[in-house]
Amino acid sequence: MSVTAPSAPLRVVIAEDAVLLREGLRRLLTEAGLEVAGTAADAVQLLTLVAAGQPDVVLADVRMPPTQTTEGLQAAVEIRRRWPHTAVVVLSQHVETEHLFELLADDPRGVGYVLKERVADVRQFTAAIARVAAGESVIDPEVVARLVARQRRDNPLAALTGRELAVLALMAEGRSNQAIAAQLYLSPKTVETHVGNMFAKLCLEPAVEDHRRVLAVLTYLRR
Amino acid sequence: MTRRLLAAALGAVAAVIFQVAVIYSQRPFPLLIVTVISVAVGASFLLAGLAAWHRWPASRLGLLFTVTGYAWVVPSLAHLPYALPFTVGNLIASVYAASLAHLALAWPTGRLRSRFECGVVIAVYAWNTLQSLVSMLFWNPATSGCGPGCPANLLLASDSPAVERVFDQISVPVGLSLSAIVLTLIFRHWWRARGWSRRAMVALVWISVAVIALSVAQTVASNLNLADSSLLLYGIAPVILLTGPALFVVSTLLARTARGALGTAIVDLQPGAPPEMLRDALARALGDSTLQLAFRVPGSAGYLDTAGQSVDPGQLGPGRALTALPAVSDALLVHDQALQQEPQLVRLTASAASMALEHARLQAEVRAQLEQVRASRARIVEAGDAERRRLERDLHDGAQQRLVTLSLALGMAREQAAGADPALQSLLDSAGQEAREALVELRELARGIHPAVLTETGLAGALQALAERSTVATTIAEVPGRRYPAAVEATAYFVVSEALANVAKHALTDAAVVAIRELPGRLLVAVTDDGAGGARPDGGSGLRGLADRVASVGGVLTIDSPPGAGTRLAAEIPCP
Repeated sequence: MSVTAPSAPLRVVIAEDAVLLREGLRRLLTEAGLEVAGTAADAVQLLTLVAAGQPDVVLADVRMPPTQTTEGLQAAVEIRRRWPHTAVVVLSQHVETEHLFELLADDPRGVGYVLKERVADVRQFTAAIARVAAGESVIDPEVVARLVARQRRDNPLAALTGRELAVLALMAEGRSNQAIAAQLYLSPKTVETHVGNMFAKLCLEPAVEDHRRVLAVLTYLRR
Repeated sequence: MTRRLLAAALGAVAAVIFQVAVIYSQRPFPLLIVTVISVAVGASFLLAGLAAWHRWPASRLGLLFTVTGYAWVVPSLAHLPYALPFTVGNLIASVYAASLAHLALAWPTGRLRSRFECGVVIAVYAWNTLQSLVSMLFWNPATSGCGPGCPANLLLASDSPAVERVFDQISVPVGLSLSAIVLTLIFRHWWRARGWSRRAMVALVWISVAVIALSVAQTVASNLNLADSSLLLYGIAPVILLTGPALFVVSTLLARTARGALGTAIVDLQPGAPPEMLRDALARALGDSTLQLAFRVPGSAGYLDTAGQSVDPGQLGPGRALTALPAVSDALLVHDQALQQEPQLVRLTASAASMALEHARLQAEVRAQLEQVRASRARIVEAGDAERRRLERDLHDGAQQRLVTLSLALGMAREQAAGADPALQSLLDSAGQEAREALVELRELARGIHPAVLTETGLAGALQALAERSTVATTIAEVPGRRYPAAVEATAYFVVSEALANVAKHALTDAAVVAIRELPGRLLVAVTDDGAGGARPDGGSGLRGLADRVASVGGVLTIDSPPGAGTRLAAEIPCP
């Protein structure tokens, strides 16, 4: 979705109220070759920066001053609504489906929701930023794992094979068929077969586009 | 006092013996019934006099009863066959009627109400005396009524029945007018009396009608010379006079009934009834509808009664009296003055009132204390909640944030060390792993202290999180989307969380249904399972703690858990 040329570095705005972490992130992203277009300590500063610079990606902490509840999340939702060309990655100390669904709204494109501690793996973290900037969705494995593992009466997921479950989880994390194939060392064809079987077993409408698929799977899992 | 009473009693006995002796000294003996009635009337007045003296030492009623008694007995002298006692006896034969009128006008306090009434009483005595004197001057017993065996009338001035008749013709209208005045005054007293006085007047009114009727009948009959009526009118009709002492008995009974009713009224009074209900109960029991229960207006010298009327203890209305309440310094009773004649009844009323007020005060105190304890319990729980929220926030902003920063630095170090010393790389890897695990542990710890999702998103999001993590399949059937006060949300969350933990531990089932519904003024939280049932509120400390927690916000926890038929745990939490 980004119109930026491949050679130009992604322009990122960081919103995080803890100074050390904010500066750490700036360093991390700069060293990884991204351009940090600005940093904000609260949601108001963030919105001002985004309005002025229209960055490619925003990294926002959920909890920020003044109320320390979900300012970052609200700001992210607003950014997605007002500036569709700016992707957002929301960082949190804990992941909750309530936050996730508020963030996804009806359109999971260009949205990421991950645990803060994912910053420890520099490559995966920058890759996630790049994916979001490219219009994909990035959902933290932790929240997906919880949804998959949730106790259900007459659990329909029990009918899935282990491989199908793994495919389901990766789909819910926002991965494309190619990415799933690469991660599971399968051919894209096989993945497609698994996806088809799985949708049939769960009585889900097959969805071709990745972002519709993510929403359908997450909604199904959350029921 | 006792000696005087004894003397009076001896006098009364002597009078009765004297009367019997005198009546039986005449020949032929009179009819037994006439004698009995005559003696009974005299004796009953003397007896009532003694009793009234004893009961109401401060009142003149005892004296008036006694005077009337002697006024009835002494004229028996006329039965003696000697001229002097015969003359004196006949002369004072009708003084009793005047003292009866006096008694009636002075009822129930023993005092005449005005100068006018004093005048009326004096007029009655005077007219009575004048009438007797004049008729004695012109009455010759030997020629009229009594026969030749009669003793002589020492006062006889002129043996002229014609003069006597003329005087009689004047005396009838005067006597009737005086009777009418007395009767009117009695009716007026009754009409004006309120409360206790009116009650005391009711019997008197009936009795007065009877006595006046008798007196009028006697006057008319004697003036019309209806000789054959004399036995009935002069012998048997005086039985009506017994109603006089009966008045005393009635008033005694009234006081006794009131005492009894007072006890019943206090027992029947609802505990903690408002003061106006206490007043009504006392007024009803006493038969004093004018009773006022007045309380000091805080910060002023004035008093207000239960009907909101201001009461000035220094300036009570006429006929009103004041009684302080023992042990209740800021309240008083204002009642009919006539009630003061029954000091025991007043004392009883006052102590009943103070008992009830004291009871109400203690109850209010206990209720206030309970309210304080409730409020402080709610504050303690709320403070605990706030402390947990603060701890969670401190962890989030402090240790968790620093660990994330540390992880970030370790991650960057690992990137920089890529391709360098493998030992350093593995050291950095394990350090990163440790930091990650510490973060996971810290996250669980923070969630256990306070679920941040509850503060961030409210009940709906927090219940969803609970359901996702619960080891039983949890369906959220209903949950309002709006936010509630922190204490309400925390309590509802705690109930669901504990209930789900109990289902997982004890219910032997794999599913539960959670429903939170908002009803007017309260939130109904219910967790239902189809498991083994048999959970008891006093069974485990978990449920007990839960009940305490719900009670701390003024709610109620109910557990419906028949063995073998599942458990329904419901909490009703008041919320604005």
